[in-house]
Amino acid sequence: MIVEHLPILNLILFMSMALVIPLLRRQPFKITLILGFIVLGLVSVSSIYLLYHVNQFDAIHYTLGGHDTRFGIELLVDPFSALFTTIIVLLASIIYVYSSGDRTEGIEPNEYGRYYVLLFVLLMSLFGVLYTNDLFNTYVFIEILSITTCALISIKRKREAYSSAFRYVMMNELGSLSYLFGVALLYMATGITNISLIGQALQTAYETYPFNVVIALTFMMIGLGIKAAIFPFHVWLPDAHSSAPSTSSSLLSAIVIKVYVLVLIKILFRVFNVEILLDLNMRTVLLVVAGIGMIMGSVFAIAQQDVKRMLGYSSVAQIGYILLGIGLLSWEGLRASFFHILSHGLMKTALFLSAGEIIYYKRTRRVNDFDGIGFIMPVAMSVFSIAALGMIGLPFTSGFISKLYLGTALLDGRQVVFLGVLIVSSLLNVMYYLPIIILAFLKNEKYQYRLTSIERAPSTMIGPLVLLGLLIVLLGVMPQPIMQLIDAAVHTLIP
Amino acid sequence: MTMNDIIVKTITRIVLPFAQLYGVFVILNGHISPGGGFAGGAILGTTLILYTLVFGRKKGSKKFSHRASEIAESGGIMLFILIGLIGLMLGGSFLTNLDAGFPAGELGSILSGGMIPLLMIAIGIKVTSTMINLFNLLIDEGVHS
Amino acid sequence: MTILQDVVDNINYIGAIAVFLIGLRIVVVHSNMIKRIMGLNIMGTGVFLFFVSIGNVTGGMAPIVDPNAPGVTYINPLPSVMILTGIVVVVSVTVYSLSLVIRIFETYGTIDQEELSQMARRNHHNDR
Repeated sequence: MIVEHLPILNLILFMSMALVIPLLRRQPFKITLILGFIVLGLVSVSSIYLLYHVNQFDAIHYTLGGHDTRFGIELLVDPFSALFTTIIVLLASIIYVYSSGDRTEGIEPNEYGRYYVLLFVLLMSLFGVLYTNDLFNTYVFIEILSITTCALISIKRKREAYSSAFRYVMMNELGSLSYLFGVALLYMATGITNISLIGQALQTAYETYPFNVVIALTFMMIGLGIKAAIFPFHVWLPDAHSSAPSTSSSLLSAIVIKVYVLVLIKILFRVFNVEILLDLNMRTVLLVVAGIGMIMGSVFAIAQQDVKRMLGYSSVAQIGYILLGIGLLSWEGLRASFFHILSHGLMKTALFLSAGEIIYYKRTRRVNDFDGIGFIMPVAMSVFSIAALGMIGLPFTSGFISKLYLGTALLDGRQVVFLGVLIVSSLLNVMYYLPIIILAFLKNEKYQYRLTSIERAPSTMIGPLVLLGLLIVLLGVMPQPIMQLIDAAVHTLIP
Repeated sequence: MTMNDIIVKTITRIVLPFAQLYGVFVILNGHISPGGGFAGGAILGTTLILYTLVFGRKKGSKKFSHRASEIAESGGIMLFILIGLIGLMLGGSFLTNLDAGFPAGELGSILSGGMIPLLMIAIGIKVTSTMINLFNLLIDEGVHS
Repeated sequence: MTILQDVVDNINYIGAIAVFLIGLRIVVVHSNMIKRIMGLNIMGTGVFLFFVSIGNVTGGMAPIVDPNAPGVTYINPLPSVMILTGIVVVVSVTVYSLSLVIRIFETYGTIDQEELSQMARRNHHNDR
């Protein structure tokens, strides 16, 4: 059966693509771009087929080398990992098409090849993190992921990129080592690293070595919290995401930090289970951390002048929304945060890419310089507006649907206080997104004489933006097809 | 950046072949004794670093050029993936060893362990080139730009 | 006496955690970038020591099957193998961050993070 081999073939395809690029350096750059596109297309097709297969039939368990799962590495493709790998590869393809038109933004010509090597290694590690069913293997993929993301930030030869990349490396390494320490403690208590097997063994381990298990949970949560920029550990994110090239920023903000959240979800619901978490009163901890993050992220975002830093702080707040859904530790809550992971991924990609286009052609990053830009670059600014309205949570956008699900989940969990926090945070979102839209479309005196000028961007940049805008609206109008897939994914975590 | 010290140069010349031979030995004996691709590759890479340190960057890159190390780096992983894929082709899963029909050999001899010696060679190539590449990267970082 | 006995029995874990905490202190307290990278390495060593010592079996041998001596106890090889991977990862992170430090030194002329942030603040002030 070929289906079983598809996950490992996906990983191999990405890896070989990354390996081939340095060898193609003498050839014209177009060959690399086309080859990359073919690879992304193949992986998209196989991911979609895997998604169909695991939802129709059964989850795929694949052990590397045919070893026993107690010792070997196991890849597990179930509705959860299949859904998110599909989302990642589709979003990455959109960003890839955009970046093929926007190669020049801050990256020197001789670094293009290196940028794409990093991109494909990054995708390989993202897929690996989601597919693998082994705690230590997760650590290895997480490390590959953090080194490549750091390199993607520092690839821009600009001054501030280096220092923010250094801070990112330091924080990320602290996070990785904390996570590894947690794995060590769990290995000490159970003697295995396979996630499903630990999940079965943990109830007895919790009774015999409660100390080990609690400390392991703490270390893993802190480690992944640093990497996912959950509120008190978010300090590195705005610097890192704003100094990276726009395409990297959108990858980092829309996909990479979400993957860390997904690993956290895997650990909370598969390794530990809801009973242990409730016993340790994790619900309160997660909800309070998420609530503070939602408010503080938005408050910091209001104070920003630089549009990309503002988007970075907005990501901190949005991670709070996702964590709020997880913190409810309920079926509805997890469903809402899965939908928000998808919708925020779309909206943040749209925001960063459209802001990137504006920055590239207007050479300004200050929010105040966006006056009247809606007349000069109508497409980019319209997409920006749609995504921003989605962030606020207006009806007919995907943001509205995710807030709706989150709100009903909060009511079901009887957490009315946090419903208030959700509303306040949305109002704060209005305070920093709406002025940009108003300035861009209504305040046009300054550029009246240039009303006729149209966008010069190539169609490879405009196309992805339009597609993202359409997808945001489409998800807002009919979320049902996606919700079915999300429900199946949630069922694998909370039976 | 060279060392103009006759003692260091002479001793390096004498020691280098033995150190490299030892690296190869560690790589090839990886499956029957402590060591393996990573340890042996590190030894081999260190000898190249030593050469570069003593005789300078120019002479060092003449021995092991940038292009060659690039090809070795990609090629090492490629070889690993290809060996893994053989297991997949022969009906097992990725990296399947004896079940896919690799000869088991006799316990304790060099030709044993199925494909593991081949994997060790692939890892050895990769680690050697990575070591020298990382070192060159750090040197070049300080020179220009 | 029992406390002392506990300490002696678990000396490997206590030592590993001590090394981890020393590294953590260096990373958090120092502002010199090279020292922080060193601290990270020390922290990593602590975790590795902890992981490897889990796999130890008292009186065990290196896990290489010898056909002439059957019935020997071997130590658990899995933690060692995992830590080999971990060491490779930390080496690559160290090299990457050192190369960043070189670039930072070339552009700013300092490797002290406090001076660096002061400089950034001054630049920010000038921009306004």
